Amino acid sequence: MKQENILEVKNLKVKFPVAGGILLRKVAEVKAVDGVSLELRRGETLGLVGESGCGKSTIGKAVINILKFSSPDVDISGEVWLKTEEGEVNLLSLSRNEMRKYRGQIQMIFQDPYSSLNSRMTVGQIIEEPLLYHTKMNKDERNERVAWLLEKVGLQAEQSKRYPHEFSGGQRQRIGIARALSTNPKIIIADEPVSALDVSIQAQVINLMQELQKEFDLSIVFIAHDLSVVEHISSRIAVMYLGNIAESGPGSDIYHKPIHPYSKALLSAVPLPNPKLKNKERIILTGDVPTPMNKPSGCGFRTRCPIAKPECADSVPVLELKLPDHYAACPYVSGN
Amino acid sequence: MILQVVPGGPLEMEIMRIRMGGAMGEGPSSTSSSSGISIPESAMEEIKKFYGFDKPIYERYIVWVGNLFKLNLGKSYVYAEPVWDVITSRFPVSIYFGMISFLLTYLVCIPLGVYKAVKNGSTFDIISSAIVFIGYSIPGFALGAFLLVMFGGGSFLDWFPLGGFRSNDYDTLSSVDKIKDQIHHTVLPVISYVISGFATLTILTKNSVIENLSQDYIRTAFSKGISEKRVIFYHALRNSLIPIATGLGHFLGILVAGSFLIETVFNIDGIGLLGYKSIVQRDYPVVMGLLVINTLLLLVGNIISDIIYAIVDPRIRFK
Repeated sequence: MKQENILEVKNLKVKFPVAGGILLRKVAEVKAVDGVSLELRRGETLGLVGESGCGKSTIGKAVINILKFSSPDVDISGEVWLKTEEGEVNLLSLSRNEMRKYRGQIQMIFQDPYSSLNSRMTVGQIIEEPLLYHTKMNKDERNERVAWLLEKVGLQAEQSKRYPHEFSGGQRQRIGIARALSTNPKIIIADEPVSALDVSIQAQVINLMQELQKEFDLSIVFIAHDLSVVEHISSRIAVMYLGNIAESGPGSDIYHKPIHPYSKALLSAVPLPNPKLKNKERIILTGDVPTPMNKPSGCGFRTRCPIAKPECADSVPVLELKLPDHYAACPYVSGN
Repeated sequence: MILQVVPGGPLEMEIMRIRMGGAMGEGPSSTSSSSGISIPESAMEEIKKFYGFDKPIYERYIVWVGNLFKLNLGKSYVYAEPVWDVITSRFPVSIYFGMISFLLTYLVCIPLGVYKAVKNGSTFDIISSAIVFIGYSIPGFALGAFLLVMFGGGSFLDWFPLGGFRSNDYDTLSSVDKIKDQIHHTVLPVISYVISGFATLTILTKNSVIENLSQDYIRTAFSKGISEKRVIFYHALRNSLIPIATGLGHFLGILVAGSFLIETVFNIDGIGLLGYKSIVQRDYPVVMGLLVINTLLLLVGNIISDIIYAIVDPRIRFK
């Protein structure tokens, strides 16, 4: 059964100017995201995977319209439609102030649980702060909500008086999750929420997120480079390469029957825990990822693709339906 | 210590005075021998005893430290008053200027620094940086002298008085005129006081805020959907205050101690001018007294810095 879309990204492009020379003029640009379309369905988890620098995190930040704060010169185009009770809004068309209204509905969990919490505020203050702006709760109600949230993420209500440095990495990420949940959001963008944690803690945090997803009816965009984590949590997966989506489809399909040559290579690189299962075929890609400052013409993957043809340089391949609900951006492969 | 060795101390001055007196008494006929006049050995001893120079330097120091614990700083040679009274009578003047320049510096620099950080790279940022750096490179006393020539009624404009803390007829003025007169006398010295302090604090604030604005938790704060003002002033500025707080305590020392040269240029009878005169006149007890007080202020200032640290940074608070 196909759920309705709660968030739609249409043809998103994000370019960062590269300044150089003595006068710091714009000498080039990095096409971090080069025409990405995504949809997030209500209640699902969309896994977004790809190598470092392929634009995963940039998509996350562009969706919550926060890129401009850290890099004012960034050039963003495309549309991000958020479905709200009052209809759909294009988040990218909003000014900073207009955007604030919708921030309560779409929240982000950040990668680094150490630096993303303000070290001069108590945990209670950190979690409480969004409530000041998005709700009309009074002091007691807010305290109650903070205590409730802390318990939901597996911490104790009494810990709200402590400062972030008094917590471990896993606990801090739980605080980050509690903070993101404080305004009752519908969508969570989780930008590599577990990559800074060690493996045993990763499992705890992932399980927590899954429990909370059911309880709060969340739709999650889960950005990660760890494929086994993504397989565990995602109902659908989108594989990115160099600012484009290479393949997207149901999680188990992508994981077990990848279509796109890049996904095949990527998934064959996942280490198997069982040393006896050595017969798995590994596809070794040659060369490095081309820099997004100077992308190859046509298909971005053609420089490393084992089945590349001369025609690949001519046009950028579009996502084609290969299997039910399963798309791949390569005209030379099929789903069987 | 160094001051004690420098010639021109009270002993020599006294000797000089006696010689001069002797020369005048003898009249013009004996000018040739005036420099050769010998002071009786007994008189020398008496003078030495009066100033306490009959004992060796370490003994004098021990006596001085002993008195210090009894809160007795000795008596000024020049003013013939207890050193403590001499110094405290100048405190209000220096504190007055210190407080004004202190408040002015912080009230201007912190907002300016924050604004420059937010608008980093803009024309306003570049121009204001140029201005504060030019200000930084001008010594306060030189600017003071320049301002006096320009606006002090000398060759050019007669806008401000030529120094002094207040007019001579201050006590006879009405209260409104008193305030006017006070402000009139305050403008030029305060400009000289603050001019070089602006750059340090502004750029410190700016860099500190820029650094904090690029931190991850600022991104978190923005994503929470709180207002930009709150992000900048509550999240970023609070974290940027740590280096600024360090300066706060040290500022106390400068605040109370005044500035030797600026007070001298403007002839303001504060701690700075007192210190300057005392050194020139070799008024050892006053110089030593000032040294003690400055040292104490510095220590107190450091403690205040530490307390402010704990206020702005909860991580270093004791439980």
